[in-house]
Amino acid sequence: MDKNAFLSELANILDEDGIDETANLRDFPSWDSLAVLSVVALADSKFGFTLELADIKGIATVADLWKHFEKNRTK
Amino acid sequence: MKYRFRDKAITGLAVVVPEHERLFADDMKLFNAPENRSRKLAMVMGYNAHRVVEKGVCASDLAEAGFRHLFDCGRIRPEEIDALIYVTLSPDHFMPPTSCILHGKLGLRRDCFCLDIAQGCCGFVVGLLQAFQLLEQDGVRKAVLVNADVLSRKVSPKDRNSYPLIGDAATIAIVENREGTGEIHADVRFDGTRAMALKVPAGGFRMPSSPETAVMKADSEGNERAPDNLVMDGTAVFNFVMADVPPMLADLVADAGVGFADIDKYYFHQPNRFMLQKLAEKLDVPYDKMPNNVVEHYGNSSGATIPSAMALNDADLLCSKVGKVCFSGFGVGLTYGGIVMNCGNFDFCETITYKGEN
Repeated sequence: MDKNAFLSELANILDEDGIDETANLRDFPSWDSLAVLSVVALADSKFGFTLELADIKGIATVADLWKHFEKNRTK
Repeated sequence: MKYRFRDKAITGLAVVVPEHERLFADDMKLFNAPENRSRKLAMVMGYNAHRVVEKGVCASDLAEAGFRHLFDCGRIRPEEIDALIYVTLSPDHFMPPTSCILHGKLGLRRDCFCLDIAQGCCGFVVGLLQAFQLLEQDGVRKAVLVNADVLSRKVSPKDRNSYPLIGDAATIAIVENREGTGEIHADVRFDGTRAMALKVPAGGFRMPSSPETAVMKADSEGNERAPDNLVMDGTAVFNFVMADVPPMLADLVADAGVGFADIDKYYFHQPNRFMLQKLAEKLDVPYDKMPNNVVEHYGNSSGATIPSAMALNDADLLCSKVGKVCFSGFGVGLTYGGIVMNCGNFDFCETITYKGEN
């Protein structure tokens, strides 16, 4: 999954039409436990790594999240 | 640890669900979350209806009603029962064991072995292993495994993370020696370092219930619960299941000398539809081989979900044919395990509704 596909998947998870990379995750009205779990599941199924809640706590923006995904991906 | 048995079988199964049904559409009104997010949650997780007991009903009441029904129908006689294994996280009392209460009420023999096991999500697997071990004794011919829980009584209705998925049920499985059933492979593992990921903080000896432990507090999402209520770290549990269960099962299936494709049916614990679909994808098993609909029909009833999945989806099939099945439970403890065995030709497989009278 490339960056564009990741962003479109994230938009889908957050019920948004598009995603601004500089946006802070916590500013999205739909950033709730379901969104977090969906992102964790995405990391597991499409990127092959375990995303812990503690990791997410240290991530601010959409761009930071993508960086974390890129750094930890095994597939 | 791995376990191996021969020629043991489940010969009958009864599922008891309370009559009282809650609908997610009604649950939603109590949550402090936007309605569109609650609807999406329901769609993803498969929340719809769940069965919960009325005030004051205990897990053993459901189990007792199931036994009375089986006695009345002549499915089993009380004097035939050589062992009663009662798996629950919602015992009637700290003292005495609930299996002993049932032993008295049901009029079982004095030499019938009674055992309570405190297990949840993996309770069917752990209980079945215990039944198999007892059946190695010549004196034990019929072991009865009961999985019963009424954890709805411990979940805050204002907790969107737990309330819509919780269900109450009791299941009764008759387990016997049966020649020609073949080899049974099992594996159960534990990770106590993560024991507190699923818990009811108060109510035991460590933190006795008090007026303070009943005080509700809102978490960052507006879910309200008290220390007396069940709480789970959903993300940690999801990651545990995805990371630890598939390798354990791959190992188990290889040990049984088969591949995932050779298994006819996967009856897994039913936490929610989402987790089961992800698990099926990870094991490369088609969705239709791994039922995931117990949560939407009855709710997650802890150790009772595996038998519930069997009776809800395959009652006729399980009474007419034998197939190779894989059971797996994962959760509270953290405990995770699996069993690969031939299963079917049950004498009965039925679902009974508990209406409150015995």
